Amino acid sequence: MAGAAARVLIVEDTPTQAEVARALLRDLGHEIRVAETGTAAVEQTLAWQPDAILMDIELPDFSGFEAMRRLRAAGIETAIIVVTAHGSVNHAVEAMREGAVDFIVKPYAKTRLTVTLQNALEKRALATELREVKAQLTRDRFMGFIGGSPAMQAVYRTIESVAASRANVFITGESGTGKELAAEAVHRASPRRAGPFIALNCGAIPRDLLESEIFGHVKGAFSGATDNRLGAAKLADGGTLFLDEIGELPLDMQVKLLRFVQTGSYQPVGASKPEKGDVRFVSATNRDPWAEVEAGRFREDLYYRLYVVPVEMPPLRARGADVALVARHFLAAFAKEEGKRFRAFAREAEAALASYPWPGNVRQLQNVIRNIVVLHDGERVEVAMLPPMLLRTASGRAPLPAAPPPPPMPVAPPMPVAVVTRLEPQAWPEPEEEAPPPPMAPMPRLPEPAPEPALPWVPPPRIEDFQPLAEVEKRYILAALDQVGQDVPRAASVLRINPSTIYRKLQAWRAEDGAG
Amino acid sequence: MMDTAIAFPAMQVVDRLVAECHRFEVSAIDPDIAGQLAAELPLEDFVRIVRTFEDDLGRLAGQLEAAVANGDQDGYRRAAHSLAGAAAAVGARRLEHVARLGMDHRAQVDPRTISLHVQHEARAALAELAALADNPPGSA
Repeated sequence: MAGAAARVLIVEDTPTQAEVARALLRDLGHEIRVAETGTAAVEQTLAWQPDAILMDIELPDFSGFEAMRRLRAAGIETAIIVVTAHGSVNHAVEAMREGAVDFIVKPYAKTRLTVTLQNALEKRALATELREVKAQLTRDRFMGFIGGSPAMQAVYRTIESVAASRANVFITGESGTGKELAAEAVHRASPRRAGPFIALNCGAIPRDLLESEIFGHVKGAFSGATDNRLGAAKLADGGTLFLDEIGELPLDMQVKLLRFVQTGSYQPVGASKPEKGDVRFVSATNRDPWAEVEAGRFREDLYYRLYVVPVEMPPLRARGADVALVARHFLAAFAKEEGKRFRAFAREAEAALASYPWPGNVRQLQNVIRNIVVLHDGERVEVAMLPPMLLRTASGRAPLPAAPPPPPMPVAPPMPVAVVTRLEPQAWPEPEEEAPPPPMAPMPRLPEPAPEPALPWVPPPRIEDFQPLAEVEKRYILAALDQVGQDVPRAASVLRINPSTIYRKLQAWRAEDGAG
Repeated sequence: MMDTAIAFPAMQVVDRLVAECHRFEVSAIDPDIAGQLAAELPLEDFVRIVRTFEDDLGRLAGQLEAAVANGDQDGYRRAAHSLAGAAAAVGARRLEHVARLGMDHRAQVDPRTISLHVQHEARAALAELAALADNPPGSA
């Protein structure tokens, strides 16, 4: 700032004085304005936000000291240099007490004025820089994230750095670490923030519908295509396309996506000519993307196109004190939502939360806290209210005493029905202090680090009791879906199959029912 | 309002004060201030300052005269204060001195006398500043 052009407000009711100051500063290239009264000085400062003010004390309406008091009260931190004809110690002391950075007596030589002003601007620039750096190093909230750990600070810095560019971003990290939130943050911090943010979960879409979901289709493109349908590529035009679980994309779709990434053009299913789209790509996976390339499941050329700026989301166990911070946030949010009195955690409960490895990361912590809030009440969360799995230490020692009855396993919130999420520009309020974070994709595996107990021995059924495998499979999948609130990815996780398998089977069963 | 019944010192006393001032300050302007402005600033900037000063003098001398005529003591002191500030900015030291006499209620100088001297010193200062603009230091 001190070297660059600055905004300087001269507060001076005598035009000759103002003109002299303006002429003496002209060489420095600063933008200069003049206010002739205290009122005008306050108004112009609030509206124009100058970097420095040369403040005369004797003003027609009220003194320069009063103007300084009003500016400080309004939170203005401009560098103020008091300029007066009275070179008394009292004036100097009062000026400094009111927050002036320096004091200069009229008439002044050019060198005296310019050096005083440059020093003040430099001091202010350093103070501003220091405050920004401190704020960046200590911030514990960022674009919906909660956490002040060094690992999260690194994530915030990367997101901020990359947001302004058009570079594609590749987010990696375990399930539940907030990959979609990171993608949204990239979008919200970017110049495309006014455009759409379209999230597409590649792992949750049946293989044969993927092309249509991404690129859209025209009426009659295939049986059932009764209308033109816009794909995510079109919906994200001018904004950001988030491809979650990109590793699930079949190789033939990877070729089509590569063309879109390279050329910006794509062809809706059944269309006769290609369309153009201006999209920034943010991709995510919980796998090692390079290992996928080496295993031949992910195209190397697509990898290089998408893996331009990597963002690695740290697991919760690597985020130290963030566990308590996030837990308190969820506790406040869920207590409010459920009308409970919870305000804090007992020290032992917080220690148990801190020592648990959180294999399901933030999402698991969120579920645990909701579970506690739903099942219990009180001012504090006691250690006895925690689920038993948290009461085992990482070293595998015996669990701490738990309160009866043991709470059930935390239940993941149901996944949004649509796999394509459109975030309208106006739907971007800053996250409120106590608001729960935006919904995340469901947890793909249940958190239970303890070894599973051996299954009890069950005698084999008699031969006449056997049923067709397809029927057993159907009943079993439908039962799993019932148990998890029709949450397909979660049911798939429980059954240890791919979500697309369930989608495919549901489609087939619906077709059978329709035919029947 | 100004109390016109105040017994001001005789005209000769004021003249003596101003004359004393003249005895030590032979020039109407301070070469350290006005000369430095003329030397350090581009000519167009210096000329702009002199023109602004001329405008200020016309306006403030008028305000001073009107305040004297109306017996407006506050207006008189405000005008004298502004005149002193404008004069100090360009190094018009004799004019500044006269204006400060007007600001100082302890001096009890007749405002009409101050007004007359202001006009006289303003003309002298402007003439010297104009000469300085025509022939700034270092231009010979």
